[in-house]
Amino acid sequence: MKPEGTRDYLPPEAEVRASFRERLEALFSRWGYRPVELSALEPYDATHPNADRAFKLVDKTGEVLMLRSEFTTALARVLLPRASEGPFRLRYAGKLWLREAAAEPGRLREFTQVGVELVGISSPAADAELVELAWEALVAVGLEAAVIEIGLPALVRDLLEATGLPADVAERLRRAVDRKAVPELAEALSAFGVEGKLREAILALPDLYGGREVLQEAKRHALSDRARLDLEWLEAVASALPPALPLMFDLGMARRYDYYSGLTFRAYTPDFGLPLLGGGRYDGALLPMAAGFAVGLERVLEAAKAPPSRRGVEVVAADVDLARRLRAEGRVVELAHTDDRAALLALAKRRGARYLAVEGKLVEVTSCRDTN
Amino acid sequence: MQGYELTIALPKGRMFEEAYRALGRAGLSLPERGAAREMLHRGAAVAVLELRNADVPTYVDLGIADLGVVGKDVLAEAGRDLFEPVDLGFGACRLSLIRKPGDSGPIRRVASKYPRVTERWLREKGIAADVVKLHGNVELAVLVGLADAVVDVVETGTTLKQAGLVEVEVIMKSTARLVVNRSAMKLKRERIRALIQRLRHG
Repeated sequence: MKPEGTRDYLPPEAEVRASFRERLEALFSRWGYRPVELSALEPYDATHPNADRAFKLVDKTGEVLMLRSEFTTALARVLLPRASEGPFRLRYAGKLWLREAAAEPGRLREFTQVGVELVGISSPAADAELVELAWEALVAVGLEAAVIEIGLPALVRDLLEATGLPADVAERLRRAVDRKAVPELAEALSAFGVEGKLREAILALPDLYGGREVLQEAKRHALSDRARLDLEWLEAVASALPPALPLMFDLGMARRYDYYSGLTFRAYTPDFGLPLLGGGRYDGALLPMAAGFAVGLERVLEAAKAPPSRRGVEVVAADVDLARRLRAEGRVVELAHTDDRAALLALAKRRGARYLAVEGKLVEVTSCRDTN
Repeated sequence: MQGYELTIALPKGRMFEEAYRALGRAGLSLPERGAAREMLHRGAAVAVLELRNADVPTYVDLGIADLGVVGKDVLAEAGRDLFEPVDLGFGACRLSLIRKPGDSGPIRRVASKYPRVTERWLREKGIAADVVKLHGNVELAVLVGLADAVVDVVETGTTLKQAGLVEVEVIMKSTARLVVNRSAMKLKRERIRALIQRLRHG
């Protein structure tokens, strides 16, 4: 029996997965991000953002362990003692597990992320670096039609805090903002006596999405000084990005993940309903200064319509010595362990190989007489 | 769906008609309705999927449909992460706790087509009861003793009266909502934003 929401991958699917992963890793390396490897087992921690949703195991000591459910918190924990030695540019790739996720297209319980963290710098320029890198990651896997969307959950948090309402009510309002449920939001604001300019500003949040004009629009509302500084930060990020980068804003984006202190971003592509990547800045919560993002490998694979061409077997070899030489030249060679011409041809056909290596010679498959 | 500017998921039945009218009034050129058994109505620019109401949030969440119309009750039960920017006003009903008249004993078992909403309400009320998921004729459950209360949709209350049951408490009020996929809301912004504005003020 296969556990729900898990999958095994065989060629050619596994090859396509590997090639996507390699492209992303190579790109991150070119930007100076160095690889880390993290343990899949973590001690159970009730304050972990996924504490309820993670898979749990019991250790031999009786202590509860969790299976890794996200890289950011895991990496932050490792880096915390060395945070002052930064900046660190680090990349990761690997599997994550979530017990409670619904298993659907693009939503597995065992899934793979490839991502980066930039630790020890906090500036609009650093945020812009990450957004640009995220965009390049999408281009690297052939998703040029995608769009990056930037949000600022701190702005929502700030306005909701200004109401002075208790946490559970504020949480209800946050949910309504995040779902753009304007009718519920208006009703709740009336019910809890939030009036005037503050009401107006909170009610405007769900509709503050679109192009760069959204930032100007937001500034017209009654905002705290902190919120104004946050918006200026966002403007600085936007102006540091290449103009060709397709960028949107949604200032009503307010997920519950509350370790994000600054901007958050995700990416969408036409005819695919789920975000392809997600990230943001989380200064203070896990590390003094840090930001990063992760690409959902299964998501981008699902969204990329045409899989990238992969390098298959080029030569099927009966001659072991020749095979060694060809490999040294960089060709992909599979040994057939037979001299039978018909068997060699059959294998070459199955593999889509162009050549046979027999008796010291490289023979083109098409030149062989079909013996079948 | 690919090949269409917009794909819309609508629940079959009465809400389908009302949603069709509301979207039409808001200036959307909807496809001619095909045969009565048709599930997929294809227009020049817009495709309409005719679905079971509980499936509307699924199609919209997974991005097969860009937007849909569905009751707030169904939406709450689905627990999906969608945008719900407009209260369309029609399809008004309420989800209520229903019991036999005079029944005031402890609630130990509740039957419902809405187990998620029911469980959440029971938790909030601090009532320790089991929830039994049923698919229809929920009133029967309380009449024959499968459960000592049910949570179900009440529109006018006539059906309840006929069954000899009473509405004890309203759990939530519901009307039809416009729901929008998170990605479509952004990538098809021009069209969907204009539609939202017209639906809000129309």
